[in-house]
Amino acid sequence: MSTKDSTVGLACTVNGQAVQLELDPRESLLDVLRERLALTGTKKGCDQGHCGACTVHVDGRRVVSCLTPAIQVTGQDVTTIEGVVGQDGGLHPLQQAFIDNDALQCGYCTPGQIMSGIACIAEGHTGTDDEIREYLSGNICRCGAYVGIVAAVRQTADGA
Amino acid sequence: MTVTDPPIDTRRVDAYEKVTGQARYGADRVPDGLAYATFATARIGKGRITRIDTSAAEAVPGVQLVITRFEPDELHDVGFIMAGGYAIQSLQPLRDDRVAYRGQPIAMVVADNLVAATEAALLIEPEYEPEPFAVKIDAEGANTLVQEQAIPLPFLADIKLGDADAAFKASPVRITGTYEHAAQHAVPMEPNASVVRWEGDKLIVNDSTQNANAVRFGLATQLGLDPADVEVTSPYIGGGFGQKNSMHLHLGPIAVASRRLKRPVKMVLPRPQTFHTGSFRPNTVHTVRLGADENGTLRSIIHEIDAQTSRHDLFPNLSTEVSSRLYAVPAFRGRHRLVQTDVQTPGYMRAPHESPAMFAIESAMDELAHLTGIDPVELRLANDAAVDPVTGLPFSSRHLAECLRRGAATFGWEKRNPVPGSMVAEDGSIIGWGVAAGCYPGNIVPAIARLTATEDGTITVAVGGHEMGQGIRSAVALLVSRDLGVPVNRVIVQVGDTTTVPQHLTAGSWGTAAALPAVQAAVDELRKALDVTDPDEVDLPAALHAKGKPVLTVEASTLGPGQAPPILDRLRSGGLAIGGPVYPEFVTFSWIAHFVEVRIEPTTRRIRVPRVVSVADCGRVASPVTAASQVRGGVVWGIGAALREESDVDDRFGGFLNTTLEEYPVPVNADIHQIEVDFIDEPDLLLNPVGVKGVGEVSMVGVAAAIANAVFHATGRRMHRLPIRLEDVL
Repeated sequence: MSTKDSTVGLACTVNGQAVQLELDPRESLLDVLRERLALTGTKKGCDQGHCGACTVHVDGRRVVSCLTPAIQVTGQDVTTIEGVVGQDGGLHPLQQAFIDNDALQCGYCTPGQIMSGIACIAEGHTGTDDEIREYLSGNICRCGAYVGIVAAVRQTADGA
Repeated sequence: MTVTDPPIDTRRVDAYEKVTGQARYGADRVPDGLAYATFATARIGKGRITRIDTSAAEAVPGVQLVITRFEPDELHDVGFIMAGGYAIQSLQPLRDDRVAYRGQPIAMVVADNLVAATEAALLIEPEYEPEPFAVKIDAEGANTLVQEQAIPLPFLADIKLGDADAAFKASPVRITGTYEHAAQHAVPMEPNASVVRWEGDKLIVNDSTQNANAVRFGLATQLGLDPADVEVTSPYIGGGFGQKNSMHLHLGPIAVASRRLKRPVKMVLPRPQTFHTGSFRPNTVHTVRLGADENGTLRSIIHEIDAQTSRHDLFPNLSTEVSSRLYAVPAFRGRHRLVQTDVQTPGYMRAPHESPAMFAIESAMDELAHLTGIDPVELRLANDAAVDPVTGLPFSSRHLAECLRRGAATFGWEKRNPVPGSMVAEDGSIIGWGVAAGCYPGNIVPAIARLTATEDGTITVAVGGHEMGQGIRSAVALLVSRDLGVPVNRVIVQVGDTTTVPQHLTAGSWGTAAALPAVQAAVDELRKALDVTDPDEVDLPAALHAKGKPVLTVEASTLGPGQAPPILDRLRSGGLAIGGPVYPEFVTFSWIAHFVEVRIEPTTRRIRVPRVVSVADCGRVASPVTAASQVRGGVVWGIGAALREESDVDDRFGGFLNTTLEEYPVPVNADIHQIEVDFIDEPDLLLNPVGVKGVGEVSMVGVAAAIANAVFHATGRRMHRLPIRLEDVL
């Protein structure tokens, strides 16, 4: 590991806004979102890519931001839970479905679940409930709200 | 309220904040000048540090502080919460050269950013003088104590009822079995995380805690502060499950660092470190003897437990509190021993004693059913208890039989072929159906509620309690809404905040059962203050206007049954003030019955749980949506306990080995299928006027046992150790 005080530039968009930062190349996208941009809706559950709490979209694709070096998103569009909106500017249908199906308890994994769920629907992995379960198994919910999460994704996929 | 009113919105009241990312958890803030702290941890099982080189760490650009030892007058003793203190254990790291267990913090780095702090912590170079250690309860160096002698407190005296040994010997049917439950970690999704800062002499703490009182009074004790100068807020907790039930030991060090640097300091414990800095469910071994008549009537239960603890603290085990109450039994003998090992102090993890105890007792009951040829549901109904077997007092409420009957009907239990291995699915999977009951003590604590009505129609409720996903905000808001006719979204609930009212530990499933009576009492006070006695809804703005007050604040406190007002002083001074489950005139438990189907796949022998039916008696259901989620969550936890979760140790290394969410597998979405939940929903008006009992933990109790019994039904093999492994069903 280098101890040199060297930084690199990052230019990307986050939730539609241009971002320019000088970074330590070791900084994760997760830490940049949370600590530099104060977008704390994206959560740190493990910092090792195991739990999915830090899931965001990069150019529409879901990634675990803890394992994504921030400089890797240069020139790309990052969307976090703060940037998720419905067509009318209010809640996204999946956010509403999470509320309606009580697809959460403590709420800590919820932003990551919703980012994964939106991507899961866009990817078309909602053919059966078992398919939804498989494609959302990268997002751990320790409270055990899985039954509601599957129902919320099902409801949103069917309504879309 | 009349029947024509529109239905109250029962959805979780803080769900909007949670689905939009607006809910702020412990580390969700970035104050100006923030510095980041991280620990370096011991890599030996036990011993002392002979030398520690911090020069490389100090040379990392951005590093502000490297601390290997605090002076004794910088960090005073706080004490283990179960020994009258406030902390998760008595041992405060970074005060001497001792290493008590692998993973103990040995240095702390504070830097301008996280990468510098992380890099520097890795560059700390300790030299050790290792010593022998024991991490397994059957290891040579482990030290076994008889609990009731080691901790001579009345509530820990072993339960002895009649001559259980003689009754067992005289019983025509005798079952003897040993059941081991692995050590486990709660791993809430939010790791332990805090931000601290000083405003002059005042310490402001944002923490993730189920016990803001303990953090406040613990830090005051540790740093020699007036408790009035410590403010702790923890409005949203990313899961607690007992792991956050007392002061964690990074808080004192970062508070001192913050004072030295004159900067706010944040610490988020890396996931692997949480396996050694936080408590865990101790490894236990249960020996159970059941004596019965040929018709299955219980004559005697003997339940002996060896439970792991640390060298420096005695974490009391209470397994027999539930195993002595589940059935009518004329003779019972319990015995708890504590086994000291070289680990951090274990602690409460959801249904800490009750889930392992019920695995043991309910496995033995299943064996009794098999041996006597009596249906497992019928056997349980036949041994139902009319009064508490231990005290002879009535139960304040006990609807276990109804839970069993209703669960059996919903599940379709009558279609079960009792012969093991007799039910096979189309794909060749062997089907097993299992049942188990569970119970959890109805403890209670005093609570204070402050209610502020404003002429714009909002009501703000500040109450002792913490929101960690169980839905305490929803339960409080629903109560106020139902009573006063105020829309749910006009009720603002403040919890986990020491600047409002005292915040007793929220654990042991007493949170809602303690908060709601206080809130109800405050609502009654408000009605009195506004001269509104009509049971119908209140026109708040008009009532306030009539009194000439744009804002009106009332306060009320409630105690547990049999508690005297001086207990409120304990609440206000940060101590534990727990009553029950044995009250002067009755005994309170929550009850549940679980019915489980397992399928064991023909080639891989993988065990799946396609459906579960759970019926709970938790008194009146205060918040139907969040309560049902609680029970489903408890079932998921039982599936994890039965089939996945084990904290591994190794005699060669010390500490725990599998300290990531990859290697400590908790249930994921694909593991969970149909979970059907039902409630008896009969108020327990002896326990409190609102009629609520606890639900968060009883929901888990018995699930693992029901799964193990289903595996027996599928395979004919009795499971004697959790978690169940593939090799157990090969």
